Amino acid sequence: MLKPLRRGSTTSALLVVAALMWQITQAAAWDLKEASKPYSGQTIRMVGEALPPLEALKKMAPEFEKQTGIHVEVEMYEHSEAVNKVQLDLNSHRGRYDVIIQPHRELGKFATNKHLVEISEMMADPALRDPTFEPEKQLYQTAWHEISWYDGKAYGFPFTVLNMFMWYRSDLLADPKEQTGFKAKYGYDLAPAKDWKQYRDIAEWFTRPDQGFYGTALQGKRHEALWYEWLNFLYSFGGDVLDVKSGSACGPVIVNSPKAVASLEYYKSLLQFSPPDSLNYFWDDVMALMQQAKVAELIMWNDATYAVSVDTTASTVVGKVSFDLVPQGEGGKIGQVEGWTYLIPVYSKNPQAAFLFVQWMMGYDRQLEQHLNGGASGRPDVYASAEVQKLPYAQASMAANEHAVPKATLPQSAEMTDILVRELSSYLAGEKEAQAALDTAATNISTLLGSCAPMTYPAR
Amino acid sequence: MIDQSSNRAWKSFAWAVLLVTVVIALTPYVWMVLASFKNRVDLLSSVPKWSFTPTHANYPAVFIDKEYWPLAINSVLISVSSTVLCIVIGAPAAYGFARSDFPGKEDLFFFFLTTRMAPPISIAVPLFLFFTSLGLIDTIYAVVIAHTSFNLSLVVWMMRGFFAEIPREIDEAAMMDGRSRLGAFLFVVAPLAAPGIGATAVLCFILSWNEFLYAFILVAFDGRPLTVGIPGLVTPHGTLWGQVAAVAIVATLPIVLFTFLVQKQLVRGLTFGAVKG
Amino acid sequence: MTNRTPSPRGMPLLDRGVGPLLMLPATLLVVIFLVGPFYYMVYTALTDLSFADAGQAGAFVGFDNFRKLMRNDPLFWSSFLLTLKFVVIAVAIEFLLGFALAFLIFRFVASQRLLTTLLLIPMMIAPVAVGLIWRLLLQGDFGMLTFYMRKVGLLAQNSAVLSAPDLVFPTIVAIDVWQWTPFVTLIMLAGMMSLPRAPFEAAMMDGAKPFQIFRDVMLPLLRPVIALVLLLRGIDAFKEFDKVFLMTGGGPGTLTELVSIYAYRVNFRNWDLGYGAAVTFMIYLVVLILCSVFYKAVYWSSRKPAAAF
Repeated sequence: MLKPLRRGSTTSALLVVAALMWQITQAAAWDLKEASKPYSGQTIRMVGEALPPLEALKKMAPEFEKQTGIHVEVEMYEHSEAVNKVQLDLNSHRGRYDVIIQPHRELGKFATNKHLVEISEMMADPALRDPTFEPEKQLYQTAWHEISWYDGKAYGFPFTVLNMFMWYRSDLLADPKEQTGFKAKYGYDLAPAKDWKQYRDIAEWFTRPDQGFYGTALQGKRHEALWYEWLNFLYSFGGDVLDVKSGSACGPVIVNSPKAVASLEYYKSLLQFSPPDSLNYFWDDVMALMQQAKVAELIMWNDATYAVSVDTTASTVVGKVSFDLVPQGEGGKIGQVEGWTYLIPVYSKNPQAAFLFVQWMMGYDRQLEQHLNGGASGRPDVYASAEVQKLPYAQASMAANEHAVPKATLPQSAEMTDILVRELSSYLAGEKEAQAALDTAATNISTLLGSCAPMTYPAR
Repeated sequence: MIDQSSNRAWKSFAWAVLLVTVVIALTPYVWMVLASFKNRVDLLSSVPKWSFTPTHANYPAVFIDKEYWPLAINSVLISVSSTVLCIVIGAPAAYGFARSDFPGKEDLFFFFLTTRMAPPISIAVPLFLFFTSLGLIDTIYAVVIAHTSFNLSLVVWMMRGFFAEIPREIDEAAMMDGRSRLGAFLFVVAPLAAPGIGATAVLCFILSWNEFLYAFILVAFDGRPLTVGIPGLVTPHGTLWGQVAAVAIVATLPIVLFTFLVQKQLVRGLTFGAVKG
Repeated sequence: MTNRTPSPRGMPLLDRGVGPLLMLPATLLVVIFLVGPFYYMVYTALTDLSFADAGQAGAFVGFDNFRKLMRNDPLFWSSFLLTLKFVVIAVAIEFLLGFALAFLIFRFVASQRLLTTLLLIPMMIAPVAVGLIWRLLLQGDFGMLTFYMRKVGLLAQNSAVLSAPDLVFPTIVAIDVWQWTPFVTLIMLAGMMSLPRAPFEAAMMDGAKPFQIFRDVMLPLLRPVIALVLLLRGIDAFKEFDKVFLMTGGGPGTLTELVSIYAYRVNFRNWDLGYGAAVTFMIYLVVLILCSVFYKAVYWSSRKPAAAF
């Protein structure tokens, strides 16, 4: 993989050779057992959300302990409990946790407050670094940079790389009776939606309240789930919240652009094809609807697909659901970057042991095992494995990772989310018009971020 | 007065209203009990299922597989310790309070009481930082101390009333019989106030048992009580309603039992001692 | 006992020094772990402390937070007004229903310990459990109550209570009524049972009609209990958080965003602790005013022999 050397630069050639040899000897020499010797007997404690991939990690940890003598304790909390516990821990500087697994929107808050160890520093330490782990080659780069980097500095590795895509009932879409009826009404063939018009038509066609069956299911509760879901529509319609290239950048607020307003109005227009209780739904409810075979298509998370398409104890539609990218609009193909990330607080008393464990978990075998247990790996080679390819959602998830659109990880991102959730929900509840809701959101976000975030579209 | 037949009609009406009210009050709870014995299909059935083949899977699934059983023990440890402390520290204070006079005495404890009236989150962060600097954070002691301090103002406030009802002459008589002040309090006055002390203890227990925020913030993972464990069952991969119900039932069982045991004292407890049951 | 010579203030008082000694441990605990953090919170309200923004490290900003709160925070005020509405409506309904039920039991059923005990259960259950129980009951697809409400026509087929903007506020009021009406009933019942008999007998001798007796004898005698119950409920309802937050998260829109939920967001979502302290302090002030009224109305009158308790 070496680039051709410039002619005459013997010295650099020699240097490269020397470096290579050094690396090779290191690679041969580096051994987890050896590297962890100074830290054997330490206990590292980690905290995260109570979800299958963390349960899988907990089951793998004894193997790490066997090899290294480093004991791993895992604490599992509900989503917001996990976030709040960490927030308090970091601000008390007490260092209870050696590894924190957090949603990446928290990153800016932690980084700017200097709560985190720069992982690149530990990677530069040959005593710690496993040379076979090469994140710059082995991870989804956009996802890694968005989820674990802030302002040009690396702080961790992805615990899960999440995205959302379309779930649909392939058995219903392939049903000849449905196909004939659909074509007669809409004038084109019934197939998984490629654009938003088709998505709407399919939702309308399958809405049969008398049979308790609905075209789609929206996550309309006043809850982060609403914001996450709407972002798919926003990005696909060609809009965004801020006009920036990465999550850690501050820039003009464009969340009240005409495209954004159009996406929101379109989103609400789907409410009529969604069950009556949609303003009370978050991920949990729409998941249950799909499992109970009560909905034709919806937009949901990649890490929840397992429970609907594989787990026969929970799902009645195993073998009947397929997955594809979110329908395309002006914004082209999109997937959203989301994820929980391994971070090491500067207050940790055992940062080296913590690093060794995280590095070990990022290895192919552990990633594969975690992925097969309901995880969402950040390694493309895990997706490429035969076992993962067999999973019905592998293709859609890979495609979504390829088209990842970043979201804000600024210190104020939690409050930005809170503002948007409130305004989106106000619009759905009929308290405001779409334009007014997004104008308010834009104004509040602009005030919150300050001078770096002027409004591109003045509020009306 | 009202004549006999209309009195009877009223009587049946009153009974009917009371029974209906009891049914309304209990139905949600009964539904939760049923839910804890349902499998996922029965739980999510759009037609409510009153009869179904019960499954016992939810209880072991959450208490053993998810290792929730220590949470029940933590709940008991936290509530019992803070209740005992409340009474041991609060009863003498209330007695001293009832039996002495100093300027501003009335206002002092009223002021303590009002600090409890701020929304619980208002002192969450200060208290967290404080316990951190004391080195008690993440231990059960932290939450026991917190619950004790919060409930002490109530305890003293309530029990002051109970002691005040006991005539001072009783203390005097006991002391003339050769008991010390402490002896008079422990062996004569306190037993007389036992029902009131019981009511206070029950109230302390319930407040501590049901408390969520401080139990969540101050105790480590291993020490967390049932209330803190419940939200962990609402996940992006689906709410495990059967398990939520199972934990909720276990988390409310002692409270329901207590309610039966000490109903008379409870009214007194719930009104902070102002109304006799 | 009356033949003893009482000291001016009802001797024996504690020996000098013993009273404070008995009170010391309790006072210390309360001061250290409750009053102390409380004043820290009050101080925080005068700073710009934030756990989110590294630029706000807790510098003293005087009354800036309160100024912003008073002049420039429509969300606070709308949630504040919504909370007042919630308190007034919920407590009024709870009181009327609870009083009526108590009167029926008192007058016609006499003592019914078992049934009245069962009534206590809704308010004894942990708030976290209450919120989840109601979420399960009212869920639009498999909620038991939703099903029966639709069946008897109380709810349209294409509607669900927690999603319908016009139903969601009445619903949270109704759940509060479910939970707390028994409380009013029990206290009013206890109050009625401890009423003296003499005034009623005198009124009957005078030939007063039942309604007159109710209005002119019973109600005035019950006044302190009524004040007590209204204030206790008022204070609690003003701080209502858990069940509403678990069920609706304050939504849809801001239709159920009570002030305690708003305070939670500012403190525990945005970690804007300086401003958050100002918000909670305002809530404290309101409750303090309610408390003071309670104190004056109930405890001062309780020293007079005429009071019912």
